[in-house]
Amino acid sequence: MEYLVLPRSSFDLFVEYLVRRGKVVAPVAKGNGQFVFSEVRKGSDIALRYILTILPPKKYFMPQYETLAEYDTRRGQKLQPVVEVEPLILFGVHTCDLAGIQCLDVVFSDRPKDLNYLVRREYITVIGLECNDYCDTYASCGLMGTFLPQGGYDLFFTDLGEYFLIHVGTQKGEDLVRDIPFLERAQSQHLAELEALRARKAQIFRPEVPVDRALLPRMFREGFEAGVWEEIGNRCLSCANCTNVCPTCYCFDVRDVPDVNLVTGRRIRVWDSCQNEPFAKIASGESFRAERSDRKRHRFNRKFSYPVKRYNRFFCTGCGRCSRVCMAKIDLKETITRLAQETGYLKV
Amino acid sequence: MMKVPKVAFFDFTCCEGCQLQVTNLGEELLELLKFLDLVEFRETMSERWDGIYDIAVIEGSITTPHDVERIRRIRQRSRTLIAYGSCATIGGVNGMKNAFDLEEILQYVYGEGARFFTTLPTRPVHEVVPVEYFVHGCPVYQPEFLEVLKCALLGIPYHVPDVAVCVECKFNENVCFYERGLTCLGPITRAGCNSWCINNGNICYGCRGMVSNPNERGFLEVLERYGVRVEFLVRRMDMYNACRILKGAGKRHGEEHTR
Amino acid sequence: MEKLLLSHTGYEVKEARILRTSRLTEKDKLFELSLVDGEILDFEPGQFVEVSLLGVGEAPISISSSPTKRQSFELCVRAVGRLTTALHRLEAGDVVGIRGPFGVGFPITRLIGHDLLLIAGGIGIAPLRSLINYVMDNRRDFGRVHVLFGCKDPQNLLFRDEIELWQRRMDVGFQCTVDRADPDWKGNVGMVTALIPGVDINPEETFAVMVGPPVMYRFVIAELLKKGIPEGQIVLSLERHMKCGLGKCGHCQIHDIYCCQDGPVFFYEKIKDLKGAI
Repeated sequence: MEYLVLPRSSFDLFVEYLVRRGKVVAPVAKGNGQFVFSEVRKGSDIALRYILTILPPKKYFMPQYETLAEYDTRRGQKLQPVVEVEPLILFGVHTCDLAGIQCLDVVFSDRPKDLNYLVRREYITVIGLECNDYCDTYASCGLMGTFLPQGGYDLFFTDLGEYFLIHVGTQKGEDLVRDIPFLERAQSQHLAELEALRARKAQIFRPEVPVDRALLPRMFREGFEAGVWEEIGNRCLSCANCTNVCPTCYCFDVRDVPDVNLVTGRRIRVWDSCQNEPFAKIASGESFRAERSDRKRHRFNRKFSYPVKRYNRFFCTGCGRCSRVCMAKIDLKETITRLAQETGYLKV
Repeated sequence: MMKVPKVAFFDFTCCEGCQLQVTNLGEELLELLKFLDLVEFRETMSERWDGIYDIAVIEGSITTPHDVERIRRIRQRSRTLIAYGSCATIGGVNGMKNAFDLEEILQYVYGEGARFFTTLPTRPVHEVVPVEYFVHGCPVYQPEFLEVLKCALLGIPYHVPDVAVCVECKFNENVCFYERGLTCLGPITRAGCNSWCINNGNICYGCRGMVSNPNERGFLEVLERYGVRVEFLVRRMDMYNACRILKGAGKRHGEEHTR
Repeated sequence: MEKLLLSHTGYEVKEARILRTSRLTEKDKLFELSLVDGEILDFEPGQFVEVSLLGVGEAPISISSSPTKRQSFELCVRAVGRLTTALHRLEAGDVVGIRGPFGVGFPITRLIGHDLLLIAGGIGIAPLRSLINYVMDNRRDFGRVHVLFGCKDPQNLLFRDEIELWQRRMDVGFQCTVDRADPDWKGNVGMVTALIPGVDINPEETFAVMVGPPVMYRFVIAELLKKGIPEGQIVLSLERHMKCGLGKCGHCQIHDIYCCQDGPVFFYEKIKDLKGAI
């Protein structure tokens, strides 16, 4: 599909255009150098240079609390499945978060398909935004190879100074920009500038940990009994920050919320976390991951090993959120380094 | 549905702020009143009831021999007991008394009149009589109170979330207070309040009590990293949690750190 | 936020009416159910359903009857949590919601034509009973059959009447043991593992199928291997708290395996190297 040029001076006009089309959410400053995806009304609301938002865009694809079904006990024990949807234009999604959405797509498209996710997803238009440089030192998108766009967007923005270059990724993206008068078709010099930026980026974004990405699943398998799990387990507070902010963590709990009349109500799903103490408990009270070290190891394996076997892709996008948010300063890059040292996978 | 359940509210040693939370439910309270028969509630009505309570909702800690007698009588007349508010569920601020000599405290509070009063160490309700449901918090968080009341009416257990306040705080996408240079008890306090305080710009004071298995050593390391002195934290913890007893050890929690 | 009504998302339930209940022990109650729409619940021994009560929630419960009994199915429920406590209050005529059946059941096609050693510990008899009765009803499809059942004490013995029937059958070797006897108990005393050495089997020809708590598995597997039964002929069911049954929610995950979809029944050789599985 084609490339378009948006002059920087027309950016505000572009956002106004989007806002006229529907609800637009984009990165917004929240103070203390932190950002969140939140509704915007004009271009100046948007933080174009931002360190990844506290929560990834997954909150729009699978909300923290999501209604699965409604009921009315006067009609027996039947449930009415529902999907809550909202047309949404999601602007400014970095490539790591695009990769995160792609991971969720894979999980929820896998049989049995999850219609609550798939139907809602149809209502969301995704506009990506390229990172020209590292957001901060927590990221490991060089190692995970997620600093370049690999699909998963309807439109993709690259900031090239005087203008944005827009790649149209899907028909949905095409439909969105078709009638915008101030967009121009990209010329060869624009594409050359994009190439130059990408070449520069290839020099900047290098594997942050000297390990071979392709060998990571093997390294995690062989390092199952490594000492690093015990070490980070001792530090972990089980606050579940790491999983809640992870763009690819999707575990949930299913609960009922009766209305005050106790007759009607909803069945909902709520984000849950393998780091929470009760997560792997069964009826008898036994927990299959009772130790914090077991739970930490499980989380890492769920990023670097298990999904590679099941879905043939890494579920770490290198976004760095888990390290950024950890009070105990359990750092993903450090953990991988330690594991690589213990297992002999560290390149010298 | 079954007959309309008789529900009564009682207060013991407390500020009655949790009753205020219930009355502040507003329209939801009116909705609720369609499904239950409120027979006693001192803050809102003067009627009394001498039958059996289907549900008795208890606010406040047990701190005098009279309290003990009264809560036992209420228990005998109640099918289900809900303890609500930190005073009732974990002792709350009343627990601070337990760090002092009781006679001294009596003198300090009542002076000359001390001889007319007797006092006991502060205890949460369940340390005196069996309790079926707990609604933690100072004051209680209204949506959780409703949730628990609904469970009591349905006769099903309510499980207080045994996860940290951080979980709900992240759901709400708050900037972590530790990143803002403030000490917050969220990481070791049990959730269920939807991180109410933090959403409104205040730190977590631990009013809901601790998670069942806090990583104390790990937390001490975190405090060290953020330059927080342990004594400071223990004092802050003691504001609501002075009644807590260290697992198995049978001694008060704070002592271990301060010695 | 717009709300779309869907007919099928995987979270809808089928209504099932309770036909009969019987109290088995203080904590365990057996429910016989049939689908309200008249359809037959199509399941295999070893599979489970999510049982739903509106306003209370759901819980995964294994089917305790054999599919050879077509018109109804049975669930043996121990009152331990929110849903199961509420379920215990229900009686014949009441209606519950059912999702499923889910998961992989016992590998019957592999078992056919072989000798069987069926071992249950405690509430593990509930899912295993589905297979035991299936085998009883198709007795000629199998070789020699031994059933070993262990539980805490005689008060906690489930399916007492049925056990007497199994005990009386000439074509099945049935042994029962309790950890702690009472004065009226006339049977074996001790762990179920203690019964294994005395069972006369041809290990090459025998499939061992067991359901029980993890601690039982560790000891029983050691005994079975000692007995010479190959790892590929040991089958077990893993208990986890499946919240969705659809391989998504993560609660039943063991390494890259989802118990609700890939299990709950596994060959021992498949899971023996997965730490935390048992």
